[in-house]
Amino acid sequence: MSAKKIQILPLNRVEGDLELHLELRDGAVYEVRSVGTMYRGIENILKGRAPLDSLVITPRICGICSTAHLKAAAKALDMVFGVDVPDNARRVRNVTLMAEQLQNDLRHSFLLFCPDFTHAAHARQPLHAEAVQRYLPLKGTTARQVIQQTKTLLEIVAVLGGQWPHSSFMVPGGVVSVAGVNEINQCRSLLRNFRRWYEHRILGCPLERWLDVKNRTNLFRWLEEKPAHHDSDLGFFIRFCAAAGLIRPTGGYRNFLSYGAFEMPRQTAVKRINGGKTLLPGGFVNDGVPATFNQEKIGEDIACARFTGYTGSRHPFNGLTRPLAATEDDVKYSWAKAPRYHNLPAETGPLAERVVAADPLFIDLVTPDGPSVFSRQLARLVRPAQILPVMDTWLQEIGHSPEGFFTNYAKVTDGQGFGLVQAHRGALGHWLQIENGRIAHYQIITPTAWNASPRDGAGRRGPWEQALVGTHIDNPAQPIEAEHIVRSFDPCLVCAVHTVAT
Amino acid sequence: MKIMTTTLYWLQAGGCGGDTWSFLSAESPDVSELVDMLAVDVLWHPSFSRLRPAELATLHHQIETGDQTLDILCVEGAILQGPEGTGMCDTLAGRPKMDLIRALAAKAHHVVAVGTCACFGGIGGDATAQATGLQYDKWTGGGLLDAGFTTGSGRPVINLPGCPCHCDALTGTLTALVNGTPLELDHYNAPADWYGIMVHQGCTRNEYHEYRVEEKRFGEKGCLFFYMGCHGPLVYGPCNKSLWNRRSSKTRVGVPCFGCTRPDFPQKYPFFQTRNIEGIPIDLPDGVSRAHYLAYKGMAAAAAPRRLIKRKTGI
Repeated sequence: MSAKKIQILPLNRVEGDLELHLELRDGAVYEVRSVGTMYRGIENILKGRAPLDSLVITPRICGICSTAHLKAAAKALDMVFGVDVPDNARRVRNVTLMAEQLQNDLRHSFLLFCPDFTHAAHARQPLHAEAVQRYLPLKGTTARQVIQQTKTLLEIVAVLGGQWPHSSFMVPGGVVSVAGVNEINQCRSLLRNFRRWYEHRILGCPLERWLDVKNRTNLFRWLEEKPAHHDSDLGFFIRFCAAAGLIRPTGGYRNFLSYGAFEMPRQTAVKRINGGKTLLPGGFVNDGVPATFNQEKIGEDIACARFTGYTGSRHPFNGLTRPLAATEDDVKYSWAKAPRYHNLPAETGPLAERVVAADPLFIDLVTPDGPSVFSRQLARLVRPAQILPVMDTWLQEIGHSPEGFFTNYAKVTDGQGFGLVQAHRGALGHWLQIENGRIAHYQIITPTAWNASPRDGAGRRGPWEQALVGTHIDNPAQPIEAEHIVRSFDPCLVCAVHTVAT
Repeated sequence: MKIMTTTLYWLQAGGCGGDTWSFLSAESPDVSELVDMLAVDVLWHPSFSRLRPAELATLHHQIETGDQTLDILCVEGAILQGPEGTGMCDTLAGRPKMDLIRALAAKAHHVVAVGTCACFGGIGGDATAQATGLQYDKWTGGGLLDAGFTTGSGRPVINLPGCPCHCDALTGTLTALVNGTPLELDHYNAPADWYGIMVHQGCTRNEYHEYRVEEKRFGEKGCLFFYMGCHGPLVYGPCNKSLWNRRSSKTRVGVPCFGCTRPDFPQKYPFFQTRNIEGIPIDLPDGVSRAHYLAYKGMAAAAAPRRLIKRKTGI
């Protein structure tokens, strides 16, 4: 038996730097630690500040999903102040969050994930040369087009919210902006152009054709149906994954969490997907068994996180963010806490959204052996197909709706509230308490915290730790297999992965 | 003219990555065109590089020994010196990033602080994180680097504040540095071309400000300066001259300017409200004479045309 320790140090962060420490036995991952290496303490910055300051501070946690944080913060305040959000404000909040999501899904897929296909470890792949031509950073044909196209989506956020990233246009009671006929036209035109490009370049077919793909067999039939499908970026992705063995399920849990996404306007032509109160339903699927979601079952465990102040698990209303001093600790190995749902680790993100929504294609892909790099990334890559038509309908409805964009709240009141959203990487929650007109308590659980979490007090690994266990690593100097798995979670730390064999 | 390659290293420290994502909104040229046009060799950017870890370690070594020239070092995010001055709140392969930044800055021909966090500490972190800027700590000279620090070019750290930094300020500054064209530094070593005007300049609500037609609650369509906490007339920045994402700005859609280019951002007092004494803002537009300004605003309010007070426009 041969044993080897390697470290993978993905340098980049958006919500926190990350390192992976792997132990290999006989060429396969035997033990793993996911280590968050940055600490900022945003929750502590908020304490004592005015309640609305969360709308300015929390978007700045994350440069690629600031609108998601803004929405979570605004929803928590809506709840505390007990204010109803009018239909048009719901539409503007949803459409801007969706625009940011499309941008994230495309940038992650083609600027951060697919450059792995150009990696030297894949040099013997027949598709390698084409991958380089498509995905070489800043130079590849697809890379250039994705840079050009994704920024047009962000123009939608700017038209409706002033700027991207880091605006604060959502406030308790709605949004501050008032979209007129020109603004709606601009957004719809930007969206139409984006859709045309997405259908032509990424899917290789109209959205409707793709949405007919309901299972594995359909998927491969679609691929070979037309040269346009085969040659599109989606077609190339499927072919590359098949050739590189990425369709095979990895290890890992089969627990999926979604908070549910996009509040419905009271009057709308848009239909909910698979029931639920929101456009996409919330829920928790535990090894194939669906359950309704209840935020009271969320807890954060710090047994292996570099924090102190309590033992066991705490609901975020009672959570603490009290960092430990400088010394490295062998037990407490990460700056990330370990969120658990009903004491269980859970994967969240686009794939979890699809599984919770009982989407037939993705249920088929994860049954019976659980997720793969392929299914996780595919869910992200095709998410726009479902979202684009909804955005256009809601934009059109803004012009016809008599409801305004803002309901005035009586005054700033004390109390507690939470704001849960499906951010682009999955379940995002803000929990807030206001006392004497000031923020007394603020806790945030990000999607990456769910996916990247360290072990809990019961010794259970976090989702991507568990997904890595058992993974065969061909060349410990270039553990591309592990990198694919971690990047398929869209870890909010971008793509540079750093490996040191020791 | 012979085209020389310019080497650039981009380091992300304690921040959100938003300056990189803002940079990706650059237009005419976009980021990939800019790199081609200026013949920039991106030695490292955490989002765009494919270097293997061993290669990155070699690159650091070569820059530190002088075997690899470093023309431009861009730093994004605050420098986290905590806990207790160790720098362990933000590390790269076990090494505090603050140490790496010091080593690279000593070799770079130009150092650019991209965004308010890198300039002044910005949002930074809590007390444990001990955030600071590259060459300023909030208003005070001297951050990670001494107040007197200059790079190989003889310049101090070039500050491009903003949360995030506006992409035009970054593309323009990089272009001037590569081409060797003039770049005049103004307040807090920020280039005058983008930080020589107020955020207020070009705001579509200027006429409301002029006649003191105020907004007191969200969505009313007035000037946000008097009650809603707008910093547009108080801080420097290009937001209403070079629109965001080519489309708009916060103040145009009714979001107050939060003063994100200012060294004290995020301010200690609440956002969304103007500190005032009996309706008179405590902070007046930068540089005005208080007595004259108050007299002028009092008369302007009295002279406000009815079409503004009874406005129906959606702007």
